[in-house]
Amino acid sequence: MAEFVRFIERSDRTASSKVGTVHPLALAAMQQTGEQVSYQKGRGSQRFLQGGLSAPVTVTWEITAACNIACIHCLSASGRRRPRELKTEQALALVDELAEMQVFQIHFGGGEPFIYPGIWKVLERCTERELVMCISTNGTLITAERARRLKEFNPLYFQVSLDGGTPQTNDRVRGEGVFQRAERGLEFLAQEDHSLTVNSVLTRYSFYELDLLYAIASGYNARLRVTRLRPSGRGQDVWADLHPTQEQYSEFTQWLMTHPDVLTADSFFHLNAFGTTLAGLDTCGAATATCCICPEGEVYPCAFFQAPEFEAGNLHEQSFREIWQNSMLFDYYRRMGGGACSGCGQYNVCHGGCPATKWFVHQKLHIKDPECVLL
Amino acid sequence: MSQSSAQYQLIPEVKIRRESFGGILYKYGCADRGALSFINSPQLIELLIASQQQHQGDVTAAIESSRYSEASKQKLYNVLDNLVKRGYIFVSEE
Repeated sequence: MAEFVRFIERSDRTASSKVGTVHPLALAAMQQTGEQVSYQKGRGSQRFLQGGLSAPVTVTWEITAACNIACIHCLSASGRRRPRELKTEQALALVDELAEMQVFQIHFGGGEPFIYPGIWKVLERCTERELVMCISTNGTLITAERARRLKEFNPLYFQVSLDGGTPQTNDRVRGEGVFQRAERGLEFLAQEDHSLTVNSVLTRYSFYELDLLYAIASGYNARLRVTRLRPSGRGQDVWADLHPTQEQYSEFTQWLMTHPDVLTADSFFHLNAFGTTLAGLDTCGAATATCCICPEGEVYPCAFFQAPEFEAGNLHEQSFREIWQNSMLFDYYRRMGGGACSGCGQYNVCHGGCPATKWFVHQKLHIKDPECVLL
Repeated sequence: MSQSSAQYQLIPEVKIRRESFGGILYKYGCADRGALSFINSPQLIELLIASQQQHQGDVTAAIESSRYSEASKQKLYNVLDNLVKRGYIFVSEE
């Protein structure tokens, strides 16, 4: 068993005290959603998630903001390393805490995780603590030697991003030459027989290349994982241009039905309102089954909701357990109602869609998802 | 499934956690499909945890070493068949 590393530079606090305050804009937006519907006797995932689990199932950990490429839709507006990023010793203490809480999986993102100086030590600690690791990488820093070394860590799987099946479509979003460099990374990982997915954000342009992306993933013995574009970070600037049309979403739903092995990260549950129930969770797991830890220790409801108004706490000030269990923001967040969607006949299959998308597009939470298929 | 000759074994990759409604089963190996189940039976969760901690994942051994009535055992085996379908348990014939 690894020795517990104390999280340095944090003062001790009472474990039971409420954590943080709630920003007035966030509070007003959450209150406008009204009373929460009780799902205790209903069906679906919502009834188990209501009120939050004892610990997250998965934590997304954006371990550094530093990145060697500059995607125009980056949800965390990554680029340069930030001043208060967690030191390696703090990161190790955090791994210990997540393991103690019985979090099942850490999903490392960023920025580019392989730029974080302590990444190897963190992976080693996760292996010791039997935490499942997933690394979301742009693939460009994977070398043959790194791919070999990564075999030391287990269980570990990779998501390598390709946002198009051609260099033209991918590089328009992810930068010149990135398609080719990412493919090289995929090749090295595949050669070492790593567990792989090709991760692709669905855009108005990549929609036409889904079959191609599927074939590329298959070529590396990987599964394709398609995720929803969110208007967070730099995604706000390109949302109008990149987000898929209703017709595309309708066709995409049918395409998923004919490709049952394609993963979706449960991010398209708003499409259930078309009348076809997609596999996976039918509701948002933010602050109930998952949350996001950002490079400077900020904790948010999910990776797509990195708005300062929705910061639940900061690891420089509180432990993760304190934030998860006692954050006032999370407390309100977990009690949100359905807002404008409450009376809708499809609410029990889509649960109002993605709160983060609502917030970043309209700064409101009681409205319908901007991509609601019934609008 | 014939319970008398079948050995129910938890897949080693399965992780289990208690929750107020019962617990969660989680199986890694893929990002999000079929890897997570909410179980609203504390009794079943305790049985699976006991299987992992005391019987090397052998659920049949955990059941047989407990004081379940025959009717309860039958119900449990039916539930386990469902977990076999979901990929958390495999069955070997003795």
